[in-house]
Amino acid sequence: MALFRKKSACHKPLADGSCSARKVLLVGNPNVGKSVLFNALTGAYVTVSNYPGTSVEVARGTATVSDERFEIIDTPGMYSLLPITEEERVARKILLDDSPDLVIHVIDARNLERMLAMTIQLLEAGLPVILVVNIIDEAERLGISINIPLLAAQLGIPVVGAAVTKKRGLAEIRRAIADFRRSDHRVPEYSRRLENDIAEIAGLLRNRSALSPKAVALLLLQRDQEIIDLVSKQEGEGFAAVEGKIREKIYARRESFHLDLSLERRKIAEKLLEGVLRAPDKRRKTFGERLSQWTVRPLTGVPLLLIVLYYGLYQFVGVFGAGTLVDLLEGTLFEEQFNPWISQIVNELLPWPVIQELFVGEFGVITLGLRYAIGIILPVVFTFFLFFSILEDSGYFPRLALLVDRLFKKIGLTGRAVIPMVLGFGCDTMATMVTRTLETVRERIIATLLLSLAIPCSAQLGVIMALLSQTPVALLVWFFCLLLIFLVVGVLAARVIPGETPMFYMELPPMRLPQLSNILTKTFSRMQWYFVEILPLFILASVLLWIGKMTYLFEKMSDWAAPLMAGIGLPREAAVAFIFGFFRRDYGAAGLYDLQTKGLLFARQITVAAVTLTLFIPCIAQFLVIKKERGTAVAVAIGLFVSALAFGSGYLLNKILLATGIL
Amino acid sequence: MHCDFCGYEFDEEEGVQGCGNCPMSAGCKAVKCPRCNYEIPKEPLWMTKLKKWRRR
Repeated sequence: MALFRKKSACHKPLADGSCSARKVLLVGNPNVGKSVLFNALTGAYVTVSNYPGTSVEVARGTATVSDERFEIIDTPGMYSLLPITEEERVARKILLDDSPDLVIHVIDARNLERMLAMTIQLLEAGLPVILVVNIIDEAERLGISINIPLLAAQLGIPVVGAAVTKKRGLAEIRRAIADFRRSDHRVPEYSRRLENDIAEIAGLLRNRSALSPKAVALLLLQRDQEIIDLVSKQEGEGFAAVEGKIREKIYARRESFHLDLSLERRKIAEKLLEGVLRAPDKRRKTFGERLSQWTVRPLTGVPLLLIVLYYGLYQFVGVFGAGTLVDLLEGTLFEEQFNPWISQIVNELLPWPVIQELFVGEFGVITLGLRYAIGIILPVVFTFFLFFSILEDSGYFPRLALLVDRLFKKIGLTGRAVIPMVLGFGCDTMATMVTRTLETVRERIIATLLLSLAIPCSAQLGVIMALLSQTPVALLVWFFCLLLIFLVVGVLAARVIPGETPMFYMELPPMRLPQLSNILTKTFSRMQWYFVEILPLFILASVLLWIGKMTYLFEKMSDWAAPLMAGIGLPREAAVAFIFGFFRRDYGAAGLYDLQTKGLLFARQITVAAVTLTLFIPCIAQFLVIKKERGTAVAVAIGLFVSALAFGSGYLLNKILLATGIL
Repeated sequence: MHCDFCGYEFDEEEGVQGCGNCPMSAGCKAVKCPRCNYEIPKEPLWMTKLKKWRRR
């Protein structure tokens, strides 16, 4: 197997007698400056391609150092030799399959102690390592001083201090690459007990691999399935003994092995840094750092989330955007001023009633399509995207991911799924596409289902806020219904769909005061995109509805849907909103808004209609993307399930509200 | 560009590559973070020009 191919001693000779380029791998955590170093070493001539069988991109280029040619490979970010994400799996595969002549481990000088854990792993794997302590300028600015020569002596490998974005240390890195000669380096030692466990397993391994027996033994003890499969293949019958020994050791340590190993590595890193690292005395935490801690702790994070939702979504988007602004634009500007004026002009210019109906009739392109797009949706998406951009620019979303990680694990997802969920509040179609970044197929299906079901898009959310905010109890009922259905369906889906929930961790970028220019830029860009996308669709929908009206098809569809509407306690006219919802979710919600302003719906009916419409089948664009991403069978299954659940929930909610008399 | 979700810094071209498979990428004003796939709106051209003009 390629992963366990024996490493070549040196570079391969070519036909002309010369040697092929020596291979240099850049490895390290994400965001430590690997790509900047790669670009600095290679210049413009690079190839970027997907790693075979994956969507992970790997960049390769060449560099000439001291008249010698080197092949430089920029690996995806990895935190450890034990992979969790696809990127890490690819990085490890390259590390092992490509038989590197040199591995440059790039670390962040500001987080030296934490990042040295991977250096320790690379050294114990027997790989030829140069350590680049990058971003040293920022570390110095924070008052951190690092004794590079002492660190090199402690590790027994070349160490270079650098700030590659500022070209500092680049010459030293080039020199270290040119001068590097493979030699035995010191391998950090764990506690006696752990070393004995490792030695017992390593002693049973008969075949040599690209990794040292010590590293293989450690990965086996961490139940790395890829390594278990490969060692099993390699050792053949001898694997039974290895497997028995692993089981024995894992049983003796129960669940604590990962923690024990992390603590031991931390101790080694602390020891290596004795005399190397001088950090300033404990400094006072800034308000941003304290706020950051509050947002991720459940005890303070949940109340903070509720405050954000109340003031941001309810007060700002719901009351101000969908209430005050919509009243002004839709009520005053369109209904009182613009629509009567334009209707008069069109009726004078076009004497044919059928054509008049197309432009200024009940479903007219101007009186309905334009009014919905500008009078209702525009103020709603403006306030929503403004609120969204403020949260985004403050760095709140990654903290939200950590906060909900535990809850999401119960529904088969991880905090990583916050990305599509949050984007779903902007546009569910785009968010469905982003589910492809989730690690497992199981997660992708669950997230797609929940997005189709219980995540309203921005405009739909805003209009529903406008409908329900006049009756706060109705808004609470709607919110808790959706939350309950989101959780129940998520838990059931996690049980029905087989598979394990992966681990999730991420580095938190700093929390900061949102910048006005950033907020305005992002809000403007999103609104521009949204508006360019929805305006033609709204006009098209108006034309289709006009055709429906002229051919009486629409009337018939409303008649067919009447029993369904009656089942959930709604008048026949409400079918129009659900037919609108097929085109776009927000169009459907705007239809409900119209019915309410005409006085056709009262509190209980609005609540039931809002819950049913939010859960109702995804819009055409989202459905097509589900089909593309998950296949026709999954798309049809989700469509049918969501529709049945929407009307089933509407029916039940109507009965409950009637029985309890809450609304 | 700077990812608003994970903080990763990347070139706009690197981000645009992630949009290749998206059926709605035509006319879309967002780029995907190569690390976490979060969508970040591109700065409008007029804003870039305005910033340049202010710097001068």
